[in-house]
Amino acid sequence: MKKRRTYSKRSLREASQGYSLMAPTIFVLALFIIGPILYAFFLSFHKVQLLGTATYEFVGLSNFTNISDDSRALRALWNTFKYVIIVVPIQTLLALILAATLNAGLKGQSIFRIVYFLPTLTSSAVLTLIFMWMYNQNGLVNEILSILGLPTYNWMGDPSVALIAIMIMNIWATAPFFMVIYLAALQDIPDSLYEAAELDGANAFKKFIYITVPNLRPVTSFVVIMGLIGTFQLFDQSFIFSGGSGGPDNSTLTVVLLIYQYAFKSLGTMGYAAAIAVMLSIVILVATLLQRKFSKEESLY
Amino acid sequence: MKAKKWLASGVTTMLIGGILSGCSGGSSGSSEGSGDNVEITLAGWGGNPSETRLLKEALDSFEEKHPNIKVKHEVISDQYMDVMKTRLIGGEAPDVFYLDAFEAPALIETGVLEPLDDYVTDEFNVDDFEQPLLEAFQKDGVTYGFPKDYSTLALFYNKKMFEEAGVEVPTTWDELREVSKQLTKDGVVGLGVAPELARMYYIAESLGGEVVKDNKANFGDEKVIEALQPIIDQRNTDKTAAQASDVGANWGGEMFGQEKAAMVIEGNWAIPFLEDTFPNVEYGTAEIPTVNGEKSTMAYTVSYVMNAASEKKEASWKLIEYLTGPEGMEIWTSKGYALPTRKSVAEKLGFDQDEKRAALVAGASYATVWANGVNLPTIMNNFNNQFVSAFLGQRPLDEALKEAEEQANREIGE
Repeated sequence: MKKRRTYSKRSLREASQGYSLMAPTIFVLALFIIGPILYAFFLSFHKVQLLGTATYEFVGLSNFTNISDDSRALRALWNTFKYVIIVVPIQTLLALILAATLNAGLKGQSIFRIVYFLPTLTSSAVLTLIFMWMYNQNGLVNEILSILGLPTYNWMGDPSVALIAIMIMNIWATAPFFMVIYLAALQDIPDSLYEAAELDGANAFKKFIYITVPNLRPVTSFVVIMGLIGTFQLFDQSFIFSGGSGGPDNSTLTVVLLIYQYAFKSLGTMGYAAAIAVMLSIVILVATLLQRKFSKEESLY
Repeated sequence: MKAKKWLASGVTTMLIGGILSGCSGGSSGSSEGSGDNVEITLAGWGGNPSETRLLKEALDSFEEKHPNIKVKHEVISDQYMDVMKTRLIGGEAPDVFYLDAFEAPALIETGVLEPLDDYVTDEFNVDDFEQPLLEAFQKDGVTYGFPKDYSTLALFYNKKMFEEAGVEVPTTWDELREVSKQLTKDGVVGLGVAPELARMYYIAESLGGEVVKDNKANFGDEKVIEALQPIIDQRNTDKTAAQASDVGANWGGEMFGQEKAAMVIEGNWAIPFLEDTFPNVEYGTAEIPTVNGEKSTMAYTVSYVMNAASEKKEASWKLIEYLTGPEGMEIWTSKGYALPTRKSVAEKLGFDQDEKRAALVAGASYATVWANGVNLPTIMNNFNNQFVSAFLGQRPLDEALKEAEEQANREIGE
């Protein structure tokens, strides 16, 4: 049986009122978010020259198929993948540990909260510049390493460590933000659970593993997804770090940096850049779906 | 971090939305009659304070001569070409702007630049320009820009270190390698190298190879590899050369100023930098040692070009004519921050007699101009990326360059 929906005058009027109130937001969303997304899809199927007289030449899927034999694109994808795989778990774990220590009722913890949170307040561009200064061949980092008797590196000029340098920088900057989210979630866990566990003779470590971690599962899921999206989109740090080139030797070339290079640095590759952008969004979507599937966040309650 | 960005972009979006709806159609094209006042926009990247002062002086004197034309000077301090291309696409580009020779062919091809030949009068005297520099802005005999200044590369050497080591300034590349060995000691390297195509181009072509052939990358050519091999060997076998980041500096001039390299190959820009930042370093300049018996160097040049979509072309030309004319150029180059592209001005200012700049001026006649076809940016990018790994000794040069050439040509397409 087919359902038929009927619209009374009243409900139509209500709807139109609703939409007219939302109109400014819808307009802005359509113009600045939905429009560009659709335009990017459109571009990804064309060979585009925007400068001068704009030309669009339909090339079907060839922009996408070209990605697979573009060694720089593959390198960028590999770098980004490596970056995500290493940064996301570390920053999540670090955020959890920091939050747990801050929630343990130590002395002066509000001071520590502020200190831990400070890195987040710095803009990532400034942060990168400060770290570049510390990573200098004669900079602070190497100074400390040599005092400790450890090997020093040319952090910015050596392709084998440049990406690691960015990872360290980003973990340091992002973990505190997620720490705050964890902190809020930690304070939501009912004390009665801990009391019950204590009666059963659980020590602090066991309480952490068997009560804190499982109760934080939905938040962990959120943190990991945000972390995935954020790290897949790594751009500003590697851009400033390498002066926009993705060097040394393509070692800090990320997918978004490559998109930028194709879109702005060479003429006539805007469509190809759009295709890589579409591919990146698919990769992020898949990663997020996989994460959700494995974390089973709803199963807790 | 991401959440912060979302918030920021949301706020900007709303602000821009508000602004857009507030002022649409602000700049309507005013017709320019002879008596009307017009305002034209000139855009460029920023220089140091002294350079800014010189340009201001030149613009003031222009406005004095043309009281009905006002010049609005815009400085785009970062990512100049990205900003300019975006504004050209959006139809909001300035009337007159700087254009590096390196980017010129691609921009000329798209047709966004106004051909200037019809504006030129006999009085302007085009033949006065150094020909190779002018040719960088020409296509099929049509001129799209007049070079405002240029710089070449020369060998900067530290006088004190040379004295202590008891060596002479090298005149051939073989001598340079020998001298470097004696200069390298106590954390100082003989030669500071910038391992990038913009600085290596003349060496790469010194044995007759071509870096760019038919608008495609060709630096995997045996002759090019053979020509570049000595630089790699000097770092990895002799251990007498280094790049700036190896010693914790940002670029060659700084490396030289900090006395971590006894020699660097830099351009005119390093002279005011060394004067301002490292006044105690005693140095001299010399022409670049001959490679394979021939003199060579690079020249970098920038021109003023006119936006083809400009509505004030007459006034824009007046500005270009003045700034690249003898009078404006003399003001602009008078302090030696940049070298004049007009022979007459160069003669008048006497830079060929200047102790520090003579070597740079001498290079102008045989220099290779840093510009070659529309695909040079792509070719350069791939070269730089792989050349560094060879320079650092991580892989053989021929393998690195051949792979980079393939990748570059794949990006260029058919």
